[in-house]
Amino acid sequence: MNNPVTFEDLAALMKGRAGLAVDPWEMEHQPEAAFADYGLDSLGLLGIVSELENRYAVAIGNDPETCRTPHEFLELVNAQLTLGA
Amino acid sequence: MRAPEQQPSGQQAGRRAVVTGLGVVAPNGVGTDAFWKAVQQGLPVLGPVTREGCTGLPLRVAGQVNDFDPAGLIESRFLVQTDRFTHFAMAAADLALADAQLATDPEAPFAIGVVTAAGSGGGEFGQGELQQLWGQGPHFVGPYQSIAWFYAASTGQISIRGGFQGPCGVLANDEAGGLDAFAQACRTIRRGTDAVVVGATEAPLAPYSVVCQLGYPELSLAEDPQRAYLPFTEDACGFSPAEGGAMFVVEEEAAALRRGARIRAVVAGHAATFTGTGGWDRSRQGLARAIQGALAEAGCSAADVDVVFADALGVPAADQAEALAIADALGPHAADVPVTAPKTGFGRAYSGASALDVAAAVLALEHGVVPPTPNITEVRHDLDLVTGHPRQVRLRTALVLSRGLMGCNAALVLQRADDDPKRYARR
Repeated sequence: MNNPVTFEDLAALMKGRAGLAVDPWEMEHQPEAAFADYGLDSLGLLGIVSELENRYAVAIGNDPETCRTPHEFLELVNAQLTLGA
Repeated sequence: MRAPEQQPSGQQAGRRAVVTGLGVVAPNGVGTDAFWKAVQQGLPVLGPVTREGCTGLPLRVAGQVNDFDPAGLIESRFLVQTDRFTHFAMAAADLALADAQLATDPEAPFAIGVVTAAGSGGGEFGQGELQQLWGQGPHFVGPYQSIAWFYAASTGQISIRGGFQGPCGVLANDEAGGLDAFAQACRTIRRGTDAVVVGATEAPLAPYSVVCQLGYPELSLAEDPQRAYLPFTEDACGFSPAEGGAMFVVEEEAAALRRGARIRAVVAGHAATFTGTGGWDRSRQGLARAIQGALAEAGCSAADVDVVFADALGVPAADQAEALAIADALGPHAADVPVTAPKTGFGRAYSGASALDVAAAVLALEHGVVPPTPNITEVRHDLDLVTGHPRQVRLRTALVLSRGLMGCNAALVLQRADDDPKRYARR
């Protein structure tokens, strides 16, 4: 079974794929903060979804790309990854 | 051939465009001071191509920008989604905006627009993503491929990064685009925008981009950096490519004066023609018409031209056509007006080349110095090409010429701001 994607993982992806320095602790403790508040645009999120799909060899689908916040995103992504396991 | 455009001149429309900021990223210097020092000295910096993946290709000599650290100048969120040509553009725009002491006003975000020209877009970024495509599969192509390769990327990113929401445009053009961008900036100003961030940069020294250029018969494949790019001589054997370019702040004159900006030059006239790719001899008539159109828009006569920044392609037929075009347009004055081509020292950066010539022309007007044409000694045309040492001479009007490999010809007239009688009459 896949380990769930953590806020640390997401922060590393935001850095690597979109060049954004985001504090994972802050992301975890501010559930209402949106990706846009961190400067992540839709292309940046698309790149993160692709990276996760490649990493886990699982199709995540299009829904995560429409997530507004990191919390919604991780919830959806981890549900998908668990399904695929 | 299309006639030179007949736009109302800045004077007629009552909204003149002036240059208030310069930003240069060139093989011979990053920043205006370093660039001008090298240009004035005629420092040759053409050298061997050392870029990864390029060293085995037949192109041996180019003008590389080696002292440029994008990570120290541009935020990483802009770096990951842009090609090197846009890194140059963003860095040069920062320098120009700092020089002009201009920033966006949150109360008036539409007051500043952006215009850039580009001849090839983001070749290096595109190559990386295409290698992902063929190496690993479509799923490994990053989403920023959709915007980074694009000719318009620099305009868009400068606009987003600086918050410039005024009219934006891009000229997907050949070498002449660096001058045509000024015409578009002037139109934008005539239509009511206060300031435009304008210019052109290119980054053609990556493997895919170099391979594309190998198809140009005008490209010099010579091995000796001092012999590879020798326009107007018996040894002319094509041009050496370069990377880099320049960005500027161009403002409506009254708006610039109101905020106390230093006016570095007046953008007085421009015209463009198209003569296609059917032989360089055809550029003679096109370039002459462009010169005449630009002088007419500036309200200048041929005798008013104090210095010519030549296109200087380095192909015998093209050099001949340019010399004849200058003679056709300037008459007897063509034989005694100083002509220069600083780019023989650092190469032709496509649309960035003419933008760098504009930067050199503004600096020449300010300093009263015609910089020399590096590496050139014996000139075979009836031109007063300035070689060897810089020439001190009082300069009021500069003519900048550019021709592109795809058949565009353009001329731009720049004038000193501080001894322009019209300007003082208007104040």
